[in-house]
Amino acid sequence: MKTKLLIALALILVAGLATSCRQHRAAVTPDPLARAYDSEPDWNDSQHVIPLNYQQAQGKRMFYQYCVWCHADSTPAGPSNRSNLNPNPPLANDGATLNALSDEFMRNVITMGGAAAGKSASMPPWGKTLSQDDIEAVIAYYRAIAQPPYQAPARPGPKYSLR
Amino acid sequence: MPVEEMGKVTKRLRLIFAVSSVVFLMVLAISPIRDYLSDWRRYERDYVRFADSRPDTKRLLADFRPEIDQVWIPQMQVVDRCTTCHQGITQPSLLDASVPQPFRAHPGVPHRVRDWGCVMCHRGQGLATEVRDAHETTLAWEQPILPIRYIQASCGTCHRAGLPQTPRLDRGRELLATLNCVGCHRLQGIERPVMLGPNLTNIGTKVSRAWIYEWLKAPRVITASDGSVLVNGYENEEEPRMPKFRLSEKELRALSGYLSTLASGPIPPYKFDPRTVAAWEKRPDLIDQGETRFRQMFCTTCHSLAVTRAGETKLIGGDIGPELTKAGSKVNPDWLAAWLRNPQAYLPHAEMPRYQWSDQDLFLVTRYIKSKLTDPSLLSDVPKLEAPAPDEVQLGRRLFAEKGCSSCHAIKGLAPQTDFGPDLTGLGSKTVSQLEFGNSKILRTPVAYIEAKITDPVSVNVAARMPQYSLSPGDLDALTTALLSMTGKSTTAGLEGLILTPGLPQFRPGGTFSELYERYKCYVCHRFNGYGGTLAPDLTKEGSRAQKKWIAEFLKNPQTLRPTLTFRMPQFNMTDEEVSVLADYLSMVMQTPTVNPASVDSKQFTPQMASLGKELYEVKYQCQSCHTIGSAGGYVGPNLTNVGNWINAAWIEEWLKNPQSLEPDAIEPHRDFTDEERTALTAYLMTLKQGSPVHARGASGRGQ
Repeated sequence: MKTKLLIALALILVAGLATSCRQHRAAVTPDPLARAYDSEPDWNDSQHVIPLNYQQAQGKRMFYQYCVWCHADSTPAGPSNRSNLNPNPPLANDGATLNALSDEFMRNVITMGGAAAGKSASMPPWGKTLSQDDIEAVIAYYRAIAQPPYQAPARPGPKYSLR
Repeated sequence: MPVEEMGKVTKRLRLIFAVSSVVFLMVLAISPIRDYLSDWRRYERDYVRFADSRPDTKRLLADFRPEIDQVWIPQMQVVDRCTTCHQGITQPSLLDASVPQPFRAHPGVPHRVRDWGCVMCHRGQGLATEVRDAHETTLAWEQPILPIRYIQASCGTCHRAGLPQTPRLDRGRELLATLNCVGCHRLQGIERPVMLGPNLTNIGTKVSRAWIYEWLKAPRVITASDGSVLVNGYENEEEPRMPKFRLSEKELRALSGYLSTLASGPIPPYKFDPRTVAAWEKRPDLIDQGETRFRQMFCTTCHSLAVTRAGETKLIGGDIGPELTKAGSKVNPDWLAAWLRNPQAYLPHAEMPRYQWSDQDLFLVTRYIKSKLTDPSLLSDVPKLEAPAPDEVQLGRRLFAEKGCSSCHAIKGLAPQTDFGPDLTGLGSKTVSQLEFGNSKILRTPVAYIEAKITDPVSVNVAARMPQYSLSPGDLDALTTALLSMTGKSTTAGLEGLILTPGLPQFRPGGTFSELYERYKCYVCHRFNGYGGTLAPDLTKEGSRAQKKWIAEFLKNPQTLRPTLTFRMPQFNMTDEEVSVLADYLSMVMQTPTVNPASVDSKQFTPQMASLGKELYEVKYQCQSCHTIGSAGGYVGPNLTNVGNWINAAWIEEWLKNPQSLEPDAIEPHRDFTDEERTALTAYLMTLKQGSPVHARGASGRGQ
């Protein structure tokens, strides 16, 4: 009698627990591009497509309107203005050159122009044409398409802790 | 009853009571235990532990919202509990990809997550608090999360006008319009245009039955095995509008037979004087000039031709008109000359301008198209077709309606058909149970349904009437996005004004200008007050920008302004009178209030100003990086060699103040010039005059 009751109890308990602990389905590894807002083929290897998030996609839009003319070797209109300039502007995906530059420096060059940052005056200032968010987006896009890939500097931990 | 037995009963009763109390308590405990073990509580506990491990614990815990957290937007019927688990969604320090889900912050977007919630954009079930229920399709919940690839569809449910941030959605909407989907379907926000496919009332005068047969069989689209779209065997970037219908041999014969008999009101063929033609034919130097004339008139601005260079075949030219690589094997020569003289006589809504042809040019260009733009093998696989039998014609006429042809093509005397296909206004919000999957092997999700339907209609329904389109993967994504955005919901009360740009009325000028505007179809390429094409510059402010004399000279001899542009204005051969009407209208009417051409007098500019301007141009601002003067400079901005004869000084000053205030999409950066610098640069630019190095005279040479 007693054992039967206990067994019944145990069963109820197990049943109750079992319903709440439903198995979570193993996540299927998703196609990285299905989770991307936009994408851009690697300039050096068209088979390799780079997924872009929202911010990077906005940067891509800015890039193809304002920057592509001098920072790429082919443009939507065909020829590029890059070879026309001395010194040659860096290609947007030139990781070897641009990865070494900090976000801060990139921000300054774009906002205030090359002359203000000790570079060529051919690079105009964009601070009044583009918003701060636009400029951040352009930097994010440059970082996304960089070859070799860009590694963000490790975030210094203590900076974010509260006093 | 003896006391002893009483005691036994009591003891037993007590035992039963005790056990049932325990059972009762345990049963009562099931609910709280289940609650304790629920997904969302587990994630909340995890979040607290996770926050402990972060450097900014205090901040994270201060923002932590225990229990069920929800965003409620009653006017949109949105209840969104996603932030119950996605606790870190607005924490800037949790943006890293290294932060485990569901705690990662949302990347920056124009809307605040706390105001709008998640399901407005991502779909899924906002009320659910279990992982599966919230994200996937289950028995009780039907709306799965929208793949990020199609997320722009959600922007489109409220934003009916295009947005710069949603190129994929805008491309999809453009495709819905250009592929004439409204011919058969009702679509949210897309009106039925006056003409969809060409009017076929007189098609029998234009092409042969054999050509119609071949076209219907495979409307010049041949999809290669690798999926790329070919036009007449050439790679094409643009999708031809006519899709492929699955027609049997009998149907092909019947339809081609019926259409070839349509010639009720042909345009009278243009007759050249046979003696003059005979004289031209004897001059070999002249007869080969057809191609040169074709190129000089810039037909390729609207029409493309397949060109083989270095073993690679490419279509070169515009996509406003049809590609003409094999047009010579397609059309009847009598029809061609009559069409070129007056396209609107054959198709009243044709976008082709009415050129001023000389007899010689018309003859040479027609001859060039007929003799050089040909392919003798184009119709080689068409079976021998005799004049159609009456029963074939009758069947063809019936098929024309049954196959839905009359949805896009009008024929005089036949009633046009609307709503041939299903109404798609609410397609984007349909749930799985509302869609007919039949026995198809498609994944049961609304997204998979739409993808399959536009990729291959037969894969969804064997008896589908919908024709086959061949779209690139990018275009398929764009089209799916646009269809998903059509949820059939009206936008929220009060928001319409904010997110819908009212459609601009068509720009319909009056007077003599109007006749020329229609004749030369200026609006097909140029934009006027927000109406018209985008291939050529917007002329809304042309009167403020360009000098009248320059406009007149340009119309007489359109020359390229930017060497990088592939497309140029066609040579219309306008008469002097026409040129003067157009130049007058453009310079007087198409002005912006912010730039009055008469407000800056070039006489005030001194040589000192100009030489300071030259120095600023060349050294301080290095304008030559983007602009060319003479033969030196960059290719990004317009060539400034002749700017002093071209642009008004007032426009230049205003432009240098803020280019984007005049042209929002201008590439030229907005810079901080001082007033002195601006005047100096303007003075310098006004001295740049091709041909005549005369010093700057009056700004525009025209009073107000």
